Amino acid sequence: MSWKEKWKNKWKYISNRVQVLGVLALVAFSVSGAAQLVAAETGKGVLFTGCLTLLAGATLAAAFWFWVVHPYREHEKVEKRFLAGYMFSREDLERAVLTPTMREQMEMLERMLHSPQLMDLNKRQAQYLALQNQINPHFLYNTLESIRGEALIAGLDSVADMTESLAKFFRYTITKVENLVSVEEELDNCETYFGIQKYRFGDRLQLHIEYDPDEWEEIMNCRIPKLTLQPILENSIIHGTELKIGEGNLWIRFRRTENRLIITISDDGVGMDEETLASLNAKLNRGVDAITQQPEEKQGGIALANVNNRIHLIFGDEYGMHVYSMADSGTDVEISIPVVTRLESKEERV
Amino acid sequence: MNREVFRMERVTYQENGVTFLKDFNLRIDEGEILGLIPVNGYGLNAFLKLLEVNYPLEDGYVYSRGEIINSWKDSKRTRNRISVIGAENRLVETLSVTDNIFVLRKGFRQEVIRTGLLRRQLLPFLADIGMDIPTEMPVERLTVFQRVVLELLRAVVFGQKFIVLNEIGALISYEELDKLHEILRHYAAQGFSFLYICLHYEETSRICERCAMMSHGRILKLIPCNDEESAERLYTAEYKRMVRVHMENRQEKLKAQRQAFAAEHLRGEHLRDLSFTVGAGECLAMQILDNSVFVELRSFLLQNQVPEGGELWVGKRRRRNFSDRRIAVIQELATRTMVFPELSYMENLCISLSMRVPALWLRKSIRRSIRREYGPILGEEVFDLPVSSLTERQKYQMIYTRVQLARPDVVFCIQPFKGADLPHRIHIWRLLEQLMDHGIAVVLVSLNLSDSLSMADRLLVIGKEGSQEVLRKDFPTLAEEVPWMKPV
Repeated sequence: MSWKEKWKNKWKYISNRVQVLGVLALVAFSVSGAAQLVAAETGKGVLFTGCLTLLAGATLAAAFWFWVVHPYREHEKVEKRFLAGYMFSREDLERAVLTPTMREQMEMLERMLHSPQLMDLNKRQAQYLALQNQINPHFLYNTLESIRGEALIAGLDSVADMTESLAKFFRYTITKVENLVSVEEELDNCETYFGIQKYRFGDRLQLHIEYDPDEWEEIMNCRIPKLTLQPILENSIIHGTELKIGEGNLWIRFRRTENRLIITISDDGVGMDEETLASLNAKLNRGVDAITQQPEEKQGGIALANVNNRIHLIFGDEYGMHVYSMADSGTDVEISIPVVTRLESKEERV
Repeated sequence: MNREVFRMERVTYQENGVTFLKDFNLRIDEGEILGLIPVNGYGLNAFLKLLEVNYPLEDGYVYSRGEIINSWKDSKRTRNRISVIGAENRLVETLSVTDNIFVLRKGFRQEVIRTGLLRRQLLPFLADIGMDIPTEMPVERLTVFQRVVLELLRAVVFGQKFIVLNEIGALISYEELDKLHEILRHYAAQGFSFLYICLHYEETSRICERCAMMSHGRILKLIPCNDEESAERLYTAEYKRMVRVHMENRQEKLKAQRQAFAAEHLRGEHLRDLSFTVGAGECLAMQILDNSVFVELRSFLLQNQVPEGGELWVGKRRRRNFSDRRIAVIQELATRTMVFPELSYMENLCISLSMRVPALWLRKSIRRSIRREYGPILGEEVFDLPVSSLTERQKYQMIYTRVQLARPDVVFCIQPFKGADLPHRIHIWRLLEQLMDHGIAVVLVSLNLSDSLSMADRLLVIGKEGSQEVLRKDFPTLAEEVPWMKPV
């Protein structure tokens, strides 16, 4: 580290700045006090020393404001947000400049919050939520394949198809280890999952996929966090259309802007009241709450919070998820993520 | 590829520790006319403030054309290139049309103003939208519609690609609104984006493809406007039930009634031969198609102006103008125009009663009796509160009770639902029903029909050429855009 950087690094902390300003203020006022005494004694230069004192005072006040008060407010803002449950990033840490020790503490906290272990934990939580039970995958694959074989021998094609879908779904959920997958893979998994649900709901449930045909290929190549769509689709079925009497519809809509991919998963189910919607969106936005939440709390929206949390960890808090809903009017879950198409970008981010 | 013009992402905004917007999300695309329906008005003013100026946020991000212009991290308090058009005139009234459009522009550097040249520059813009506005006329002499179009034109000339229209339907007539919608569609096709804020779904659905439902400083949902079901969902069960019960009850109540008020061949500068009668406890809705007629009728009602011709009858007494104790007028935006903050609640309440009971201010017993009678209805606590600290609901209650106490034969309500969100509209509706139950005839003077039609027993459509009466049984033919009027 060059001496310039060392110097810059030292004076960015408010504690160091206060020390310097304190010493300067003491010196300035001692000198001006002495000068004024001399001026009063001799009767010369009273006005000059007075002006000089005023100027020194104004300079010190301005320095105090821009060098201490303003950065302190920025620091306080970051801390308050953290206490309110918001996540903070490395970029936000640049504002945490009260003391070097406090900065180190916050850096350590940031490393913990953004650690790969935590990321894995989140991913695993998503997997568990998707599977509903902690089960041995290999045992499951083998058993499903056996069931499928037996079903084919017995001429039960529907049972064979259903078992195949289930095996495909489990394989995608458990065995693919990447954090980012293509929209195509994710959508394929959604269709598999929906296929399984169709055996339960029959024609009562319909899935519609909407997009601009000109952008289709481009959208399919975009990269999104693994298990982003399926948990939301599942949520829409369980909390939206399943509770509705009569036919239920689900939509997955893709939209691309210059730098964002916007995916909306909608249902025409029972929707939710204003209070539930407000608390769900609040829960989504407080990333720390989502991490510290205990699974046994069994509150609604854990799957959504988990997906949103992973988007925040991978892409930053400018992106994420928002829920729109009205009672008896269905629910829309809007996911906004940056357009990432290349595999290299994925590795840089994860 | 869609181009986003404006986006608010999870915006939380506070003023003095009070949260006005919470997790607020909104997106507008290029060339889109997006509706915004405030189910309740909470947070709407804060939202409009944030559109214009980038004030510090508690959380979230604001984007303009994909670039961050405001965020919780960094707020520069800069002004955005967004124009808000509403009831407040943002033009310089004493300057001419051309001066307002060109001379006040930021980049205007000429020291000598060449009026002829500016006029020639403006004419193609006016021709483009099929408008004929006198270019040299001072803005103060323009009609409301011309002023609105001029503000729109100014935003276009200034290159402001995102324009907000705030409750325009309450300012201009139906025909003018149609013309304005035509202009909006014209500019939307050219890539301009509009946020159309309106309290009424039926008006929003005429111009927008989708609309955002806002409540308590949040966007609840974006709904398609071409979907009839969405209109059904939009209005609360309470509102729908209220309209249904009202419509059923009116059939019974209207059987026998004495005439409370009549106008015969009323004439003015713009008004041509207006005749109508209204019975005790009856509700007559007036839809005025022309803004100048509306302004003239309002001046008859509020400024005691004597009509050029015609006769007015209150009961069996003939009157020269509308200045009579037995004719009450409730002005538009009543909670702002009819509340006297320097007076106490009791004084506000009884201000009209003193004409009927001259000894009111001398005898405490009368006021005590009023408090005893109305305390359980209005709430005991309101009598001890300063008027300025009353809620909107309490203010409405106070104004309508004031009219009820004065016991007029007829009450003219000028745009009673203007500026009121759905809960307040339901409240006003109930207060009007109470007046009718007391045998007072109610005349709703409006430019649009939104809430008035479902309340009215008869409708009088007034244009420049004359008027036409529509009976209640024929209302469904008018009400294609008013879904709750359809038979249940």
